[in-house]
Amino acid sequence: MTTFTESATSFISSRPDSGPRGRAWSGFESLGLPTTADEVWRYAPLSELDLDRYLVPATPTLAPSSDFAESLSSLAASVVRVVDGFLVDIGDPVAGVTVDVDTTQSTLGGDDPLERYANDAFALANAALCPATVVVTVSAGTVVDGPIVIVHSANASASLPRTHLVLERGANATVVEYYEGGDGAIVVPVSEYRVAEHASLRLVTYQRLAPTTWHVARTTGLLERDARLSQAVLGMGAHYDRSRNDAELLATGAENELRTTFFGSGAQVHDFRTHQFHQAPRTRSTLLSKGAVADTSRSVYTGLIEIEKGAKRTDARQTNHNLLLSANAHADSVPNLDIRENDVVCAHASSVGPLDALQRWYLESRGVTRADAERLMIQGFFLEMLDALPKSLARLVEGDVSLALASVPVSA
Amino acid sequence: MTTLTIAGLRVAVGGTEVLRGFDLTMHSGEVHVIMGPNGSGKSTLAHALSGHPAYEVLAGSVMIDDVELLSLSATDRVRAGLFLAMQQPMEVPGVRLIDVLAAAGAEPAGLLGRMADEARRVDLRPDLLERFVNVDLSGGERKRAEMVQFGVLRPRFAVLDEIDSGLDVDALGAVARRLAASTTEWGCGVLAITHFRRLLQELTPTMIHVVSGGRVVATGGPELSEVLERDGYEPFRELNPL
Repeated sequence: MTTFTESATSFISSRPDSGPRGRAWSGFESLGLPTTADEVWRYAPLSELDLDRYLVPATPTLAPSSDFAESLSSLAASVVRVVDGFLVDIGDPVAGVTVDVDTTQSTLGGDDPLERYANDAFALANAALCPATVVVTVSAGTVVDGPIVIVHSANASASLPRTHLVLERGANATVVEYYEGGDGAIVVPVSEYRVAEHASLRLVTYQRLAPTTWHVARTTGLLERDARLSQAVLGMGAHYDRSRNDAELLATGAENELRTTFFGSGAQVHDFRTHQFHQAPRTRSTLLSKGAVADTSRSVYTGLIEIEKGAKRTDARQTNHNLLLSANAHADSVPNLDIRENDVVCAHASSVGPLDALQRWYLESRGVTRADAERLMIQGFFLEMLDALPKSLARLVEGDVSLALASVPVSA
Repeated sequence: MTTLTIAGLRVAVGGTEVLRGFDLTMHSGEVHVIMGPNGSGKSTLAHALSGHPAYEVLAGSVMIDDVELLSLSATDRVRAGLFLAMQQPMEVPGVRLIDVLAAAGAEPAGLLGRMADEARRVDLRPDLLERFVNVDLSGGERKRAEMVQFGVLRPRFAVLDEIDSGLDVDALGAVARRLAASTTEWGCGVLAITHFRRLLQELTPTMIHVVSGGRVVATGGPELSEVLERDGYEPFRELNPL
């Protein structure tokens, strides 16, 4: 029987860039999988994680995508299809947009993935084992009408997709990254979003993997002068859903808006991590995280705002609200600040509790039952995340979210 | 003919009794107007009728025909036929009005069209209803959005808590005409709480009730509003021995 390690080393040796991949793999092996003794992995059911259940695929396993993915695709300016991390379709041509693969592994994290991801075993595994980085570039000054949809299907037992979105100077685009499949699989996506001067990227990540999936994702926004990244992350599926969303505000005037939400049911764990790193003056970040946990599910939100010395007149705000929908559900919220500059505005707020009783009464006083009022309000967490999308696309995702929520017993 | 009967209603807010034996009877198709000074209990009546959690009913009865509303949930009170248009309608982020109305029992087929029709009747831009409930709407727009809910849900009785505040003269006229039309369109009973007579210029009241000190102290026809206009509420305070 082939082990995960055997499939990994065989995959690496078959690639032209086996050198850097091998170094990342060595990094992964020497670091080892985290344990719950690591504070940042405290809530992950790592004892259940047996890598030998998964094999690294040499080729993509093609399968029809879901009806929802097809509907999503029908509303896109262009659809990029990625299966098990392999780019299988670059979509319709869009002026000023190129879709390609980079096989040199120099695309992410600088020349050496060991630098940025040195302490992240899963990101190192991704650097070693991703088929190739999918690179979507929007050329300088290009304004893309309509969203670019990237459909990530996980059909193999291990998928390690790697995505690199590049918005050159003054470019403007909306991108949806959608994840589906992953039954009994591990899915480890790593994405970087490079937003150059005066460029603006609106991004929606919708994770709708199977309830058996291990999903360990990491995204990093790298924002240049006056760049803007508006990112929404919706975590719906997966057994263990870890979503780390970082932004580095590298130059003056950069702005990051991050909204994350999750809905936990069954025995799911949603583990959301954020890090807004302000490295230059007059940078702004606003972060809103809202989530709900039902049944015996649990959630963790840990957010760090870091402000470098000299990043004067930075404005950073972080809000986290968690909703408990059953007595056996649990939510933890851990906001952190690391501020090395005085001339800043920085605020954070977090809460764990029930729904707003007056808002609920208002809906009830329209004739809505309590259960429906609560469902609408929880669904609202997700709907608020979809502002960036064109209306037709937002409605489609809304419909999918409400379908998913309809089956879950809710008693706030 | 349907009858709304409020009898001996006593309501406390924060431990203080504000309504102290409120009585009012009205029938479908009628327009009743409640007027009274600030603090007389008008808004407390509206909130208590629709089951606001902060209002404690101490005693009394509110019936639609032979159905006691006070023992019902807020939801079931609306479904029994009593709708409240609020003085300060709440924002509910992430929730759309069309979904609220569908969940409230409005027929989904053609709902968007009916909402747009109702919006136009009260001079509200229909596209504002696509926003999350009351989010980023002005005070006057919220009032008109309440009227859209009213028009779609077609309640047997509607309590309108200062529907006129925040509206300019033109919008006020449109709202008054919408309410007046409802009395014939489906025999709605309209119970309007107001400070101002101008609502009554296009919404002819069947009865006016003057409220002071948490109870009705005078009841009369439309002419009563002229008395109030001339003399204010002061003479009526004396009718209410404390």
